[in-house]
Amino acid sequence: FSNFFDGITGNKEITKDVLNGALNQYREHLVDKNVANDVATELCTGIEESLIGTKMSTLKGVKKIVKDSLQASLSRILSSNRRIDIIRDIELANTGAGGGGQRPYVIAFCGVNGVGKSTNLAKVCYWLLHNNLTVTIAACDTFRAGAVEQLRVHQSALRQTIKDPSQIELFDQGYGKDAAGVASDAIKQASAMCRNVVLVDTAGRMQNNVPLMRSLAKLVNVNKPDLLLFVGEALVGNEAVDQLSKFNEALTDFSPTETPRLIDGMILTKFDTIDDKVGAAVSMTYTTGKPVIFVGTGQTYRDLKKLDIPTIVSTLLT
Amino acid sequence: MVLADLGKKITGAFKQLNSATVVDEQLVDAFLGDISKALLESDVNIKQVKRLRDNVKKSISFDENVPGMNRRRLLQQAVQQELTRLVDPGILPYVPQKGKQNVIMFVGLQGSGKTTSCTKLGYYYMKKGWKVCLICADTFRAGAFDQLKQNCTKARIPFYGSYTETDPVVIAAEGVEKFKAEKFEIIIVDTSGRHKQEEGLFEEMLQVSQAVDPDNIVFVMDASIGQAAELQAAAFKGQVDVGSVIITKLDGHAKGGGALSAVAATQSPIIFMGTGEHLDDFEPFAAKPFVSKLLGMGDIGGLMEV
Ligand SMILES: Nc1nc2c(ncn2[C@@H]2O[C@H](COP(=O)(O)OP(=O)(O)OP(=O)(O)O)[C@@H](O)[C@H]2O)c(=O)[nH]1
Ligand SMILES: Nc1nc2c(ncn2[C@@H]2O[C@H](COP(=O)(O)OP(=O)(O)OP(=O)(O)O)[C@@H](O)[C@H]2O)c(=O)[nH]1
Ligand SMILES: [Mg+2]
Ligand SMILES: [Mg+2]
Repeated sequence: FSNFFDGITGNKEITKDVLNGALNQYREHLVDKNVANDVATELCTGIEESLIGTKMSTLKGVKKIVKDSLQASLSRILSSNRRIDIIRDIELANTGAGGGGQRPYVIAFCGVNGVGKSTNLAKVCYWLLHNNLTVTIAACDTFRAGAVEQLRVHQSALRQTIKDPSQIELFDQGYGKDAAGVASDAIKQASAMCRNVVLVDTAGRMQNNVPLMRSLAKLVNVNKPDLLLFVGEALVGNEAVDQLSKFNEALTDFSPTETPRLIDGMILTKFDTIDDKVGAAVSMTYTTGKPVIFVGTGQTYRDLKKLDIPTIVSTLLT
Repeated sequence: MVLADLGKKITGAFKQLNSATVVDEQLVDAFLGDISKALLESDVNIKQVKRLRDNVKKSISFDENVPGMNRRRLLQQAVQQELTRLVDPGILPYVPQKGKQNVIMFVGLQGSGKTTSCTKLGYYYMKKGWKVCLICADTFRAGAFDQLKQNCTKARIPFYGSYTETDPVVIAAEGVEKFKAEKFEIIIVDTSGRHKQEEGLFEEMLQVSQAVDPDNIVFVMDASIGQAAELQAAAFKGQVDVGSVIITKLDGHAKGGGALSAVAATQSPIIFMGTGEHLDDFEPFAAKPFVSKLLGMGDIGGLMEV
């Protein structure tokens, strides 16, 4: 009889064995949704540790308990601690209220090859232009064929969407130049022209390519962007973890100061190509503890959204 | 090396297996658990991992009378066979014919490395003495024609494209006609990035394909791609006649397993791997030696003889 009474009074203690089946099922489920294997495993281990020894009401069922804990923990990971209000921060920089005198607000975009840095930079630019801000785009991908022309095409297309063409300006020095220097010249010119924002496009680079990572760190150290965005595609699998940790590692290792500038947040691109496999959002926020600031949902300027955390969490768990 | 992590982990699992005295069901389960974990960490599709696990398990018997040594050998064979199946669809790739006009069309997701790989493939054949050219049938991506043009200029490959024509089907057809007339041997058609969710883009791919009637369609896939790989690859195959796969960006830490789904989904062999941004960061691919290398076969083979 004792089992029966435990059941209704909710006194049955949760053990490792009891949890095992449900946890494994959810772990595989998360992997199928494209959460990195290590991240899914750590998440489930965390849930196991928090649940073992607690009492459960058998009415609720183990699966439901695990699901509820996962839901809470996924929401927590995705809603990282730092709220970023770009428009307000731009004003602080421009008015000098943020310290450092009146100056343009600088956003730099970095990431591995082909993820959508330049395209999403153009989308951010569109958003800023339509908030009545003036923008200088700094063409600091001086390596990849067509990178400068790509931005020039965006400049003219973006001009079609505004009244005053001078609201957007492309700063470039062609190919082969040192990216840090181009960015620095662009910022100087933008400062002199009292522009609101500088958007720095950088070349794609693999996280394990030391010379290229060193050069990114230099660009960051020299130009101290207000916001350093990592652009990663929602398609990426387990590699997401390695990409982000190596980018931050390089920024730390190659920084001349004790307090290096690290990645402030992510843009998650190609979200329109993954159906329900939304797990990269978790891998990236879990790895950095930083928020996904924008989501790229297509190839037009309007396809830039905020991350809808409740929808992501429910997609992950169904 | 490509998929080196995976290779190390699999070899590790085999070592563990070999050091055990009894090969019972528990040990085999642990072994398969290790292998599965290694595959999942490399982005291999979860359904394929499960299938591999089931197939390997089925291949061995836990009958008391079968000696453990046999089980070990069977396990090794089964794992090897399943891994080979992952990277080798058992179909021979299209081989261009010298003196003929071989039209090769590139397709793939946005940013996967099509334009870069087009140039690399062209350069590869050019160095072997073929008459090679490229056509830019991407009128969508900003700066696409400039990119191809600059790449071709560097590689000294003749190219065709337009700043004013907006229909990729027209450009592709015109370009192929022109180069065929000029007796080019390798005619490569670069197209825009696209994904299955956008019907219009898939329709356009079909039209380009119908217009140029390619001898081979190459599907280009990024090595860092995760669990969404299979669905996309299958959709491309469903729309056009994909015949080969190129996996790119294997110079990163990329696990590469997701891209392998493209092999299963398209039933097409991998022909080249992209290993960097430069023209000659490009390696031909052969499945069988790759799996042997992956498994560190020499070592395992040796251990198995004990
Ligand atoms: N479907 C989809 N495609 C996107 C999205 N964002 C970018 N793209 C496409 O991805 C491809 C690569 O985009 P780019 O902006 O050139 O990428 P990048 O990171 O700047 O590339 P590199 O500078 O070469 O490293 C282009 O075809 C874009 O149109 C998105 O949110 N959805
Ligand atoms: N590290 C590395 N980068 C590569 C490789 N192949 C391509 N890339 C880079 O990936 C980025 C995208 O390559 P593209 O060739 O423009 O890709 P695409 O598929 O033509 O892109 P869309 O036309 O926009 O769909 C560029 O920065 C290339 O330099 C590779 O094997 N290794
Ligand atoms: Mg770019
Ligand atoms: Mg391209």
